[in-house]
Amino acid sequence: MLNMNLISSILASTLRSSVPLILASMGGCFSTKAGVSDLGLEGMMLAGSFFAVLGSWFSGNAWIGLFTGILFGIIISMLHAVMHITYKVNASISGMCVNLLASAITPLLLEIVFHMGGKSVAVAAFEKPDGIWIKKIPVIGPILASQNILFFITIVLVAAGWIFLYKTKIGLRMRMVGENPQAASTVGLNVNRYKYFGVAASGALAGFGGAYLSLGQMNLFVENMTSGRGYIAVVIDAFGRYNPAGVLAGSLFFGFFDSVQTMFQSVFPSQLVMMTPYVITLFVIIFVVKGGRGPAGMGKHVEL
Amino acid sequence: MGDDAKSAKSVEWRKSMTTSFFALLFSLIIGMILIQASGYSAIESYKAIFGVSLGTVKGFALSLSQATPIMFTGISFALAYKVRMINTGAEGQLYAGAMTAALIGAYVTGIPGIIHVPLALFCAFIVGGVIAGLVALAKIRFNANEIIMTLMLNDIIKFFTSYLANGPLKDAQSGIGQTIRIQESAQLTKLIPQTQLTSAIFLVILIAIILQLMLNKTVFGYEIKVTGFNLKAAKVAGISVARTYLITFALSGAVAALGGAVVALGVNYRFVDGFSSGYGFSGISVAALAAYSPVGAILSAFLVGVLRAGTITLNRTTRIPVEFVDVIQVLVIIFVAAPALIHSILRWLKAFRIHRRSKELGGAERC
Repeated sequence: MLNMNLISSILASTLRSSVPLILASMGGCFSTKAGVSDLGLEGMMLAGSFFAVLGSWFSGNAWIGLFTGILFGIIISMLHAVMHITYKVNASISGMCVNLLASAITPLLLEIVFHMGGKSVAVAAFEKPDGIWIKKIPVIGPILASQNILFFITIVLVAAGWIFLYKTKIGLRMRMVGENPQAASTVGLNVNRYKYFGVAASGALAGFGGAYLSLGQMNLFVENMTSGRGYIAVVIDAFGRYNPAGVLAGSLFFGFFDSVQTMFQSVFPSQLVMMTPYVITLFVIIFVVKGGRGPAGMGKHVEL
Repeated sequence: MGDDAKSAKSVEWRKSMTTSFFALLFSLIIGMILIQASGYSAIESYKAIFGVSLGTVKGFALSLSQATPIMFTGISFALAYKVRMINTGAEGQLYAGAMTAALIGAYVTGIPGIIHVPLALFCAFIVGGVIAGLVALAKIRFNANEIIMTLMLNDIIKFFTSYLANGPLKDAQSGIGQTIRIQESAQLTKLIPQTQLTSAIFLVILIAIILQLMLNKTVFGYEIKVTGFNLKAAKVAGISVARTYLITFALSGAVAALGGAVVALGVNYRFVDGFSSGYGFSGISVAALAAYSPVGAILSAFLVGVLRAGTITLNRTTRIPVEFVDVIQVLVIIFVAAPALIHSILRWLKAFRIHRRSKELGGAERC
């Protein structure tokens, strides 16, 4: 019985750690499928988590906070889009610019707005649902009951994202832009518009993922609270072959390691335990993903 | 032919100087707006920052000593970028170098300073080179993304050195996570007493000059540049691209590690957990501003050092958020990465000025 409880609590916390990874790497699918590198996810997430708290602080409403986070995820993603798509800067560099800008501007705003070192004040956040009826479902009931509403939205988004990319006309065209922008342009598609859309979608989803960290798991913003999850999402994307179903599996894998590490912190030195997700990511990118490149048209522009 | 190449080169040089100048100018202006927006006088702040950093001996020494590690990381980033590889791992390499130098400095005893300091530096150099070399190997062999690899390594190395400094190698007499003090013989010479300015500044200038000469005057330097400019041409010309990647990236890591080593040997006299205040990240900005030239990185790092030293001093007396310096650094990177952005802004400004002048003229005519 005790073991049952332990397993279900591990699974519940695995799901909780997976949600931000699922959202961010879903976002990565969108921009990569449109042929734009997703290296800026970390910065978009970080912006999302900060501005979600700011929105919630101003309004006192977690939902408005969430939308503020998503909005600013999109806004900061536009830096990546403008630099790479319009000004043809190397996508790795423009992605890193997003990450660096977010990691520089959030501490500054934290200081200006909250006058507190390193973290914000506590704000209205998402509560766990009462979930009385959910609890009654056998086996998975208790696991699902410990998730908040954002988890269920995330699952719906994964399904919707998959349908969008593989079953709709716009999704098909977006993938065509990613595979061969020249050909897409020849058949009359506005290549840049699809690319902008892909990047904006990645900003929205990564911003959502960031908001989950600050308003879903906690109720405040901590400096650099994404701590590399955006980069892990980039690896998950390559690992899941840029397919929403694949990245869902990859996110659960990484979410599992994220959640078990907290259990080992009392046994091993905390620094070594905290190191493990990064070690695993490093191994995955070297030995599993290898050159897991995205679509053939990655980073290519239409030559006029 | 030679003249043509030379004039093409000088046009290229002038272009990148213009870019760097406006990148810095725009970033400083946006920085001013940020300070003003957070409720402080921008002009007074800038006056204070530059006045303190450039107007006093202590401030000048602080600027140089703040700039020293950034010179190393700036050169490191610039060098890797010559083969279009992005070494975002300077922060981790810096920590690895600092830990290595601190351990050699503390636990190797009974040798004179003339051997001890170079030994510690050499070991740090090797450790940094091996770390970055392995990343380059993984890139060559498995085509893995070096940005993600180095970023993951940053966290791994930071946590691992933190574990060492708080665990098995902790100074038992100290309350915070740090290793034991290094021997007298391993300490770098202070150039001005009671400042943090050490002989490391000569070392980094020497390294910059050597690397610049290597790039401009040797066959290997030529191979680096060709590989960076045109990978296909390099392969056709029979250059071993893999070897060029490997050596260049290893050198880049080694130089970054030296940056950490000189902080351990010259400033803290030990490894201190979490000692770097974004030195690795500043290096990217410094390299971009210098148009990826090692000698240029010395100058641009000094500029960043001035900003850092000024805000450190300012932070003691006022509450101006010092974080805005980081924002300025990022803006520099953005503007340098997208020179077209600068030209667009200049064009807007010009259009705006013409528009205003024509309006004024129109007004005058009506009078």
